[in-house]
Amino acid sequence: MLRRFLPALVPTLLAIAAFCASLSDPYFMEIFIMVGLIGTVAVAWNLMAGFTGLVSLGHSLFFGIGAYTVAYGQVGFGLGPLATWPIAALLALASALFIGLLCFRYGLRGYFFSIATLAFSEVAFLLVSATLWLGRSDGMMLPSSPDALRYLQFDHKWPYGLIIVGFLALTLFISQAVLTARPGYYWRALRDNEGAAEALGVPAMRYKLLVFALSAVVTAIGGAIFANTFAFVDPRSTLGVELSIQLLVFGIIGGLGLLWGPLLGAALLIPAGELLRNYLGSGFHGVNIVAYALLLIVLALLLPQGLGGVLAARLRRRAPEKPAADAKALAMEAAQ
Amino acid sequence: MSTQQPLLAVTGLGKSFGGLKAVSDVSFEVMPGEIFGIIGPNGAGKTTLFNCLSGLLPLSSGAVHLDGRRIDGMRPHDICRLGLARTFQIVRPFQGMSVLENVKVAAFGRHPASADAEHHAHLALRRIGMDHLADLDAERLSVAEMRRLEIARAIATEPRLLLLDEMLAGLTATEAAALCDQIRRINAEGVTILMVEHSVPIISQLCGNAIVLNFGEMLASGTTRAVLADARVQEAYLGSAVS
Ligand SMILES: Nc1ncnc2c1ncn2[C@@H]1O[C@H](COP(=O)(O)OP(=O)(O)OP(=O)(O)O)[C@@H](O)[C@H]1O
Ligand SMILES: [Mg+2]
Repeated sequence: MLRRFLPALVPTLLAIAAFCASLSDPYFMEIFIMVGLIGTVAVAWNLMAGFTGLVSLGHSLFFGIGAYTVAYGQVGFGLGPLATWPIAALLALASALFIGLLCFRYGLRGYFFSIATLAFSEVAFLLVSATLWLGRSDGMMLPSSPDALRYLQFDHKWPYGLIIVGFLALTLFISQAVLTARPGYYWRALRDNEGAAEALGVPAMRYKLLVFALSAVVTAIGGAIFANTFAFVDPRSTLGVELSIQLLVFGIIGGLGLLWGPLLGAALLIPAGELLRNYLGSGFHGVNIVAYALLLIVLALLLPQGLGGVLAARLRRRAPEKPAADAKALAMEAAQ
Repeated sequence: MSTQQPLLAVTGLGKSFGGLKAVSDVSFEVMPGEIFGIIGPNGAGKTTLFNCLSGLLPLSSGAVHLDGRRIDGMRPHDICRLGLARTFQIVRPFQGMSVLENVKVAAFGRHPASADAEHHAHLALRRIGMDHLADLDAERLSVAEMRRLEIARAIATEPRLLLLDEMLAGLTATEAAALCDQIRRINAEGVTILMVEHSVPIISQLCGNAIVLNFGEMLASGTTRAVLADARVQEAYLGSAVS
């Protein structure tokens, strides 16, 4: 049981440690919040990309659905997170099922699936950018309310950090539970060889829709948390393709084959981007972005399996000692 | 003997790719418990026929009944659930999975709980004599072992009818003989078998009945002995392919 959930437990403990360390400084807390939030969404994205072979380039759609449901729910109807988060989850579920049915029904795979998801998110981006009651491209502020707790409005950032620790832990544990049960096996089989999987009894459509729905719902909750944390949403930061690309980059750099790979990618690259901005941002305009791009290229060349892949291989190489230890434990049990 | 219902009944099955008729008007019946053979030269349409039977390709014409129930037009996973399993001529285990995990994927169909599926995956591996390789990375198996893994996966779906696509080609004589024994044993345990094979000695050893395909058409059908003795078969297939 413990070993089964180790890949969820260890990152959760590390996240709690990072959260505690960030309590001292609001700037650190802000970075922790972005790493935890986008990292968790990247984990959800990777259930599709890394484990099922469905590389979505349109996940910002679900993030945006979450963010705008919270913003418009509060501005338009005075609804708090207790109502808006579940609505966001349902809207994301419905959109994922709709897009999934359409794509899988017509057998879209590989690049074509990626392009189709990108197209849907771009359409949403353009629609929202042109819609008056959603604030167009200027975005929407969430007004502060006297009933602060009901709208999750805090004077400090750390309570949001705490919420994100919970979001991260829940996502990791649920994902790991599903990955080590039937869906996880089916997803990996579908990723590798859909025809062979189907012939062995894997209902391809149903399980591709399942992973799409799960991934979209988690992403929408991420968007909802984003809106409550920053009290502001705009198309660019919640619906733009930049966000979808970020998930892809964190996944690839961190390692697509691992539950926690994309989280590692986020934990490495978001602070690195901040550092570069702080130290190089005052120089030539854009030099920090060039440096960030160079960093990505170097990492991609050095670590084709992702950073997580290298780490996991290290751990595995040490693993052969484990069976011996197990055997010893068994022998001791038998002796008693 | 009472008239028994065939386990598999194929009637007038045809499949074309664009203008190419890969299979045309093939009809035969497989009775419960037998080992039925399909012979034919390269490109005769044997694998295409299997793809049609297992639901991976839609038929162009004809019908397929499994135990009296029409299965053509069904999704492959539904056909598998009804008890028809197949192996692939080009064996390719699921990547990044151990031998056991590969078989577990198939066992999950009838055993949704992970522990149950694992137990039944071990049983399937034991039946094919490779349980000792369970924890090995599947990509590190030899060709002969991969063929057996392919069969283990198929029987882990607990089929009534097993379709084997050239499982013996390219194996050494000892490996082939061992696999033949295992196929016989699986059959004796109650699984009906439909097998594609090039080697005439193996087909005549294992199969009571057989059909011969040539350029997608059924050249002959009947008892294996009669089929092999057929003059047209001798000419079209045996004459060119064997000698
Ligand atoms: N998906 C496909 N699209 C187009 N043509 C195909 C397709 N699959 C098979 N064919 C063609 O159909 C014919 C029959 O091929 P098939 O693979 O069924 O032969 P086979 O009897 O299994 O041969 P072998 O003994 O080499 O395995 C061939 O001419 C092949 O090129
Ligand atoms: Mg073939």
